[in-house]
Amino acid sequence: MAEVGSENTANKEAGAGAGVEKTAMVVGIDESDHSFYALQWTLRHFFSIPVPLFKLVVVSAKPTPSSVVGLAGPGAADVIPFVESDLRRSSLRVIEKAKELCNLHSVSDVVYEIHEGDARNVLCEAVEKHHADMLVVGSHGYGAIKRAVLGSVSDYCAHHAHCTVMIVKKPKQHKH
Amino acid sequence: MEEVTATVVIEGAGVGPEVAEATTAEKKGFKVVVAVDDSEISHYALSWAIDYVLANRREDCQLVVLHVQHFVETFMYPVAGHAVYAPTLSIDAVRKAHEENSKRVISRAVDICKSKHVDALTAVAEGDPKDAICEAAEKLHADLLVVGSRGLGMIKRAFLGSVSDYLAHHAKCPVLIVKPPKGSHK
Repeated sequence: MAEVGSENTANKEAGAGAGVEKTAMVVGIDESDHSFYALQWTLRHFFSIPVPLFKLVVVSAKPTPSSVVGLAGPGAADVIPFVESDLRRSSLRVIEKAKELCNLHSVSDVVYEIHEGDARNVLCEAVEKHHADMLVVGSHGYGAIKRAVLGSVSDYCAHHAHCTVMIVKKPKQHKH
Repeated sequence: MEEVTATVVIEGAGVGPEVAEATTAEKKGFKVVVAVDDSEISHYALSWAIDYVLANRREDCQLVVLHVQHFVETFMYPVAGHAVYAPTLSIDAVRKAHEENSKRVISRAVDICKSKHVDALTAVAEGDPKDAICEAAEKLHADLLVVGSRGLGMIKRAFLGSVSDYLAHHAKCPVLIVKPPKGSHK
């Protein structure tokens, strides 16, 4: 039905809202509440209209077992299969939860993807692959120091993604 | 360091007495605040927001175009050394120049809105752009803040502009950062 993406900027002006071609929107999720809040917010505000403009692509990054296990030690080879299956299970759980959220908001026609690797790269690559016009990420709202130490996926994506980036923050206390 | 007195003046660009409502009552619906300045990218961001965010639900979306005017310094530092109060004439001249600039920016933004058949409210704030936009977005109860970002200097994709970077971290509401379209070298 809807063709994903078009790099044709002229089309964007004319086609938005009128054409059948939908551009892709990638939403990055992980296990955190913040990213599910971001997905929910996006569903509520961008997909609750009768004819959504975007085709939703939900992307979850699965860390590689080696990045989790760390330095190879004597027992590392034995541990890796368990770590691998555990990681796979948890990323499937994440996708299941995302599916539930989408169904709750009556959004069908969603593509769910799990890619292995660092979230930063996975999301930027997904944007390229789907020729997405928009990337949505949640944000932990780390302060400057935490960000420097732990790294920030939303920061990286905001800088490096080649499309519009939306950063959705979970409000701290009350929701308005 | 610098005083941030973001005074927000709301003017209705569309039809109707919606002036007071913008700040006081929390209008039902989705409020999108787009920050504009002289740059091409901010006007592109406005177009993008209208096409992709407002799109086919104009009825319950409210668009506010926000421009932050440079703060008019009331004193200056001549070469001799200590600060003196600038003569009133030059303050007025500078202020007038800033206001002309603001008017131009706002009218260009309003033209874009009109050409896409969108009624928008306009708001002007004064002060440091980063803080003023944050504060104005809060005062206006924005549901989404839209800014353009061309990145620092010529390295377009590796870096985020300082204002959008600041807003991404400090704004209370979701922030949408619009980048230049692919293939453009702005």
